[in-house]
Amino acid sequence: MNLSRKQLVGLVLGLIGLVVPFFLSIEGLSQAGHVALGIFFLAAVFWMLEPFPIYATSVLVIFLQILLLSKEGFIFKEITEVYTPDSYTAFIGTLASPIIILFLGGFVLADAAVKYNLDRNLTRILLSPFGNKPQFIVLGLMIVTALLSAFMSNTATTAMMMTVILPIIARIDVDDPLRIGLALCIPFAANIGGIATPIGTPPNAVVIGALSQQGINIPFGEWMILATPLVVVVLLFAWILLLTMFKPKANSVKVDMSGAFNTSKNAIILYIAFGFTVLFWITESFHGVKSAIIALIPVVFLTLTGVVTKEDIRKLPWEVLWLVAGGISLGISMKSTGLAEWIVGSIEWSSFGAITLILVFSIVAVMMSNFLSNTVTATLLIPLAVSLATSGIAGEGFNLIIVSLVIGVSASMAMMLPISTPPNAIAMSTGTIQTAHMAKAGFTMGIFGVLMVLLYALFYWPLILN
Amino acid sequence: MEKQIYILVVEDELEVMDALVNDLQSFETYFPVETANSSEEAKKVVEQIYYGGNEIGLILCDHVLPGQNGVDFLIELHADVLKHDSKKVLVTGQAGLEDTIHAINSADLDHYIAKPWTKEQLDSVVVKQLTDYVIEEKLNPMRFMAILDAVRLAEYMREHKLSDY
Repeated sequence: MNLSRKQLVGLVLGLIGLVVPFFLSIEGLSQAGHVALGIFFLAAVFWMLEPFPIYATSVLVIFLQILLLSKEGFIFKEITEVYTPDSYTAFIGTLASPIIILFLGGFVLADAAVKYNLDRNLTRILLSPFGNKPQFIVLGLMIVTALLSAFMSNTATTAMMMTVILPIIARIDVDDPLRIGLALCIPFAANIGGIATPIGTPPNAVVIGALSQQGINIPFGEWMILATPLVVVVLLFAWILLLTMFKPKANSVKVDMSGAFNTSKNAIILYIAFGFTVLFWITESFHGVKSAIIALIPVVFLTLTGVVTKEDIRKLPWEVLWLVAGGISLGISMKSTGLAEWIVGSIEWSSFGAITLILVFSIVAVMMSNFLSNTVTATLLIPLAVSLATSGIAGEGFNLIIVSLVIGVSASMAMMLPISTPPNAIAMSTGTIQTAHMAKAGFTMGIFGVLMVLLYALFYWPLILN
Repeated sequence: MEKQIYILVVEDELEVMDALVNDLQSFETYFPVETANSSEEAKKVVEQIYYGGNEIGLILCDHVLPGQNGVDFLIELHADVLKHDSKKVLVTGQAGLEDTIHAINSADLDHYIAKPWTKEQLDSVVVKQLTDYVIEEKLNPMRFMAILDAVRLAEYMREHKLSDY
C-alpha cells in the first residue's frame, strides 16, 4: 500500500484524533461522548484526506462503534445515568435501514435500465422536440440529463450523456464556445437533477436517514414537491449562464441518435416495473405505503423474472450503501452520547437569526463539498443540525427539516472543480474544457445555489411543511 | 503515482523508426514511447518497463529484424502472462502470408499495418488498440478520454455502474 503525503498525514491525524479524547476530560461531555468524539475525529479526517477509500472508513466507523460504544463492546456494558449504550444491532442495522433499501431499489432499476438501453432510448425520444438550434439543444440536453439523474446516479447519467454529446462536439468548430457550453451543461444538469428525488444522489439519503432517526418521515412525493421547484429554477439559471458565458457561434447543430426501444420480453418487464415503481413512489402521500417498501417491488419482480441476474446483483454499487450506512451509524452515537449536543452547545447559536443560520449551513456545505465528497459533507454536517434542533439551543425559529434540506441540497450545488463531483471529473477528462471554465461557471452556480436555497428555505419550504 | 502505459516501437531502419515516432508524437503525453532496433533490445526494454511497475499497452513491430524476426518476437512475448494482453501490431511490407497467419494464430495479432502507412491510418489503429487495452485492463478511463476514443470509454463507464459519492 503506497500512501501519498496527504494520505499519510490523514492516517496519522485520524489515529491521533481517535486516541487523544481518551486522555482528555472535557467538561460537559460524558465519558461515552469522549469516545464518540474520537471516532468522529477519525471518521472526519479519514473521509476528508482519504488514506483509505471512503466506503472502507464507513465500515470501520460501524466496527469501532460496536467495539467501543455498544452494549456488547469493551467499555460500556452497563446502562449508566449518562449513557445508555445501544445494542450492536443498532449499528449494523443501519446497513438495512429504510433509506438503504430505497437506494437498493433505485440501483436495481437503474442497472436494468442501462442493461436494456432504456436511458439512451428515453434520451433519444425526449431530445427530438428540441430541434437543432444550439440554445434549445443545450436546454434539451440539460432537461433530459436532470430527469435521468433524478432516478439514476448522476455519474452514470453523465457517462451516458457523454456518448451523446461527444459526437456533436466533434462536429463543431474548434473555436466555437458552444463546445465548452455543451461539455459543462451535462455535469451541471446531472449534479442539479440529483436533488430532485430521494434516490437522486446519496446526500439526499443522508438527510432522509437522519430525519427518520428523529421520527420524521419524508414521503418520496413530498421530497419531490420540496426539491423539484428548486431544481427547475437552478437548472434554468445554469442554462442561461452557460449560454451567456459560452455564446454559441454555430447556427444549427445536429443530434445524431439512432436506435429503437428494446422490445424483448425482459425489456418490457423492466419498463412495467420501472413505471409502476416510480408511480407508487410519487404517490406515497396518497396510499401511505412507505417508499422503502415500494423499493422492494423492482428488486423482487426483476429478480424473480430473471431480468436482473446474479451477475447484475454482484455489480451493484454496494459501496455507496456502505458509505451512507456508516454516516447514519455515526449519527446514532453522536446523538446518544451527547456529543452532537456538546458540539453545538459550544457555539452561541441564539444570537444568529434564521437567515444567518441557513446561510452558514448552506455556504459551509457548498464550500466543503467542492473539495470533499457530497455525501461526506452531508454526513458530517447533518448531526450538527439535528442536535441544534433537538436540544432547543437554536431557539424557536429553527426547523430541523428545513436546515437538513439546506445541507443536503447545498451539498449538491458544488460544481466548481473537477474534484467536486464525479460528473465534473468525467466532463473535464474529455479534454474539451479547462479548469478555469469550470471554476468560473461553477462558482457562479454555487453563489446562485446558496441564494436560491435561502429563498426556498425562508418562503417555500415552510409553506409546504406546515 | 499511477502506472504508465507504454507504446513500444520495434524497427531496425532508422528513417522508418523516425517516421513512426514522429507520427506517434500526439500520444506521448499519455503514453510514453520507447524504441528498440532489434528483438533482443526490445526484450530488455520490455523488462525495464515492467520492472518499473509499468506496462506496455501497444507494440508496433516490424517483421524483418536482425536476429529473431518480428513475428517470433511477438509470439514469445504473447506466451508471457504479464505481456499477454499488450496489443500487438505488425508494421511491415515484408511479412508473407504464412508469417502473418502464424502471427494471428499464435500471437493473437491485433492489427496489420502495411508500409507505407498514412498518419491518419496509424492514428486510428493506435486509438482503437489502446482504447481496447484500457477497457480490457479496466484502467481508469478518465485518464485517457482526451486522447483515445472518448465515446467508447464513456459507454464503458455507463455500463459499469458508476456511482456518486
